[in-house]
Amino acid sequence: MAKRKFKIGSYLLVSPYVLFFLIFVAFPVFFSFYLTFHKWNVISPMKYSGLYNYEKMLHDHLFYKSLVNTLYFLLIHIPSQLIFSLGIAVILNTKIKFSSFFRAAFFLPVIVSGVVVTIMWQQLYGFNSGLINRLLTDIGLAKIGWLTTENMAMPSIAIMATWKNVGLYIVLFLVGLQTIPKYYYEVADLEGATDWQKFKYITLPAINPTIFMVVIFSTIGGFSLFIEPYVMTGGGPLNSSLSSVLYIYKQAFDFYHMGYAATLGFTFAILIMLVVVLQKRFLEKKY
Amino acid sequence: MVFIIFIFSACHIDQKPKNELTYWSSNNMQEINFTRYFVNKWNTNHTNNIKFQPIPEGQSSEEVLMAAVVGKTTPDIYANMWQGLVEMYAKSGVLVRLDTINGFVDFIKNRCGDNVLKEITSTDGHIYQIPWKINPIMSVYNKKEMTKIGFQTAPRTYDSFLKAGKKFSKDTNNDGYINQWIGNTSIKNIWYQRLFDFYALYLAASNGGHLIENNKPVFNNKYALEVLTFLQKLYKKQYFAKENNATGSDKFLAGQYATKWTGPWDISYTKKFKPKGFKFGYAPIPVPDSHQGPVFTYADPKNIVIFNTCKKPLKAWEFIKTLISEEGDLKLLSLTEQLPRRQNLEESTLFKDYIKTHPKILPFIKQSNYVYGTDNCELMIEVLSIISDEYEACVVYDKKTPKEALNAAEKAVNILLGNFKSIN
Amino acid sequence: MKKALIYTILIVFAIAFIYPFFWMTVASLSPENEIGSLTFLPTHFTLHNYISMFGKIPIGRALFNSILVSSIITFCVIFFSAMVGYALAKTRFVGREIIFYIIIFTMTLPFQITLIPNYITMVKLGFVDHYTALIIPFVINNFAILLFRQAFMSIPQALIDAARIDGCNNMRIIFQVLFPSIIPTIVTVGILTFMSTWNEVLWPLIVIRDQQLMTMPQLVTLFSVGGRAEGQLGVKLASTVLLALPIIIAYTFFQKYFIQSMASSGIK
Repeated sequence: MAKRKFKIGSYLLVSPYVLFFLIFVAFPVFFSFYLTFHKWNVISPMKYSGLYNYEKMLHDHLFYKSLVNTLYFLLIHIPSQLIFSLGIAVILNTKIKFSSFFRAAFFLPVIVSGVVVTIMWQQLYGFNSGLINRLLTDIGLAKIGWLTTENMAMPSIAIMATWKNVGLYIVLFLVGLQTIPKYYYEVADLEGATDWQKFKYITLPAINPTIFMVVIFSTIGGFSLFIEPYVMTGGGPLNSSLSSVLYIYKQAFDFYHMGYAATLGFTFAILIMLVVVLQKRFLEKKY
Repeated sequence: MVFIIFIFSACHIDQKPKNELTYWSSNNMQEINFTRYFVNKWNTNHTNNIKFQPIPEGQSSEEVLMAAVVGKTTPDIYANMWQGLVEMYAKSGVLVRLDTINGFVDFIKNRCGDNVLKEITSTDGHIYQIPWKINPIMSVYNKKEMTKIGFQTAPRTYDSFLKAGKKFSKDTNNDGYINQWIGNTSIKNIWYQRLFDFYALYLAASNGGHLIENNKPVFNNKYALEVLTFLQKLYKKQYFAKENNATGSDKFLAGQYATKWTGPWDISYTKKFKPKGFKFGYAPIPVPDSHQGPVFTYADPKNIVIFNTCKKPLKAWEFIKTLISEEGDLKLLSLTEQLPRRQNLEESTLFKDYIKTHPKILPFIKQSNYVYGTDNCELMIEVLSIISDEYEACVVYDKKTPKEALNAAEKAVNILLGNFKSIN
Repeated sequence: MKKALIYTILIVFAIAFIYPFFWMTVASLSPENEIGSLTFLPTHFTLHNYISMFGKIPIGRALFNSILVSSIITFCVIFFSAMVGYALAKTRFVGREIIFYIIIFTMTLPFQITLIPNYITMVKLGFVDHYTALIIPFVINNFAILLFRQAFMSIPQALIDAARIDGCNNMRIIFQVLFPSIIPTIVTVGILTFMSTWNEVLWPLIVIRDQQLMTMPQLVTLFSVGGRAEGQLGVKLASTVLLALPIIIAYTFFQKYFIQSMASSGIK
């Protein structure tokens, strides 16, 4: 008697989740998939189009470009973030005065909205009157077209993204570093190890799980890059900062190609999952 | 629990009283005042009440509408629809065929003229929109700076514009960088920006030429070529700045841009924010040196449509007539500083007083006889987006010649519109 | 010597992280024509930009909307996620492991797939331009479920058995008996949820058109990307400062908790 009551109670407890999942996860996934075989501009009825959207995507140079752009972004963003946050964390982990002040300073951009950061950096990156270029000319260097040069736009956005997120990863690494027993380093000192050797053989292996996590988070976050290019560049110059999400947004909400946008979304999602699985295989070391 | 209550309370969509007509207006304060006046006037004299709701402006308004169509909660009357969008809605069958209403065609002919009538007729021969208001694009110029370089007004031809550029665009503080320019347009690759630079200039050069005719691109011609060449030179010689307008403060008011291409909305904006002693004027946008005839420009037209969910389209038309009557048009101009799409604005006695007390609007009034809106094409936004891509590559970043850009755009548009036979 | 170098590097970077905020605030308090030459402190101090902004957009209203929406969501997330987390941790039923794996799987699902269909769902249900559209899709958070599950798993079964003998049903067990023991988890979930929903921009941009219902980041985005600021940089920056301010204030007070919760969530 009591056991059966137990079970119904459990189902009641998880029912909100199941309902939620069905409406906001399962349904969208299936509907999305269904949409990829149709043309739909929202105001007309849906038109069945078979594999048209997929063919269109395979011939769409902007599809490939947005993929490349996003990967380019990740290639700059993830290593720079890793190196910077790990480096600062290692420094802060030694006996530094005011370390909590520094930690708080780096963490500040993490908590504010991406909109704030984007608007702020738009003023920093301006060619003629932007702060960074003014600083450069003040110290005698040339101005840089951060957002107006084709090969600089994505790196500029990546720098901004790193600036925004690095504080979080510094904290994560600090936590990880603090779990390493101090006497490991003391023993290494006795054996005459250099700083670099200590880092390579003690620190790195110990924080490998944290590194892995940082990489995964940054990857998934990087694939959803949207508001920054949307506000700062509109995807330019020459579509060099067109991220995959921005492209989907444009197709859906500028051109009303809902079916095609769904196709893009679905494909990108599968690619992201592939990347994450690959990263898991190659980066995560099992104990 | 709380969750369930949420869902039920939100599911309740207001039931529309049977006799009421809903009217969606723009969210701009002056237009709200305009609408309120006429709605009140109508409601005191008629049994069919009009209920009006302002909706957000710009791109958002299209998305509100989209959601409304899917949710079947479209208004009866929608004002402020961009003319380029009407064809898409018309082809989807959600708009009322206005030419079937008795007296409609004559009324429009009387108010707007034959050319406008032709312009707003859809490709299927019917009319789905009521031309309402326009904001002709013209040059605004800084009087003091232009006089300094020897110009009484904004340069009127490409040649003189480039000459002015050479004189004005320079590095005044010797830091190695140019810090004032003859003008600027937005370099962000957004499709609607082209309406205010490339497209306006193209209309001027071609005397109201088309981009799309019979579902085929017809813009790959000598006029577009001249426009692109002109614009490309401006950036190549650094007469225009390669910078996002969002950075920093308004450079026209700061005297760093000598001209701008803009519409009548600029008048009150500039009056409000200009520094002391700042003098400005308006002139038609430049044309190629070989140009003959009056200078056309882009109308930036916003029109009124009736959705076919409306149960009383005839009553709706009666109400709309009050908005575009002589009284309506005068109030539109005086309250919102936007021009009604009415012919012979300058000659008409109706507006003479207003023009006398607001002289800055006169150039726009004169221009209003030579404006063009958009062609009728379902995929107009994407066409402009393709053109914008090529514009960016050619004009701003000098990666293609104007001819290459036009060829590429033409090809892409043909693919877009499904004209596979035209591709070689 | 090495120490001096390290401190210099840290200070330089710290400045790089703080100065943009400082500049932004100072610029928003300067008259428009001086922003271009501004470096450190304003020559003229003015509130004009803020006054102008309040007159142009309902930013107070947007602040209210953001607070309302984020609070309700946070409350719902804690409530529902605790329920599900408990069921996964402490009860046994058919399908328990399946649900667990579905949760993990969903977390890796990028939002690109669900974005447009969810928008259409909102339209069909008539939630567009209501608070409901902002709230409902976020009332359950996979991450929170896992955190609660983790927390409940570490509570001794004996506590629950005792409560059950006393006649408590599941809900009372969760919220009256167990909650007091897992305060850190609750705080973590609360802070993380509040913060992430506060900063959410893409979803409101899609489902909310009515200016009176917009969230703060959404309003500031439209204000800055659209034309409402009338090209006045000072006003744009004022709205941005106001957007950042609530979180920064909360941050200065709850600094310890903020960082702790971010760190502890990461470790799992």
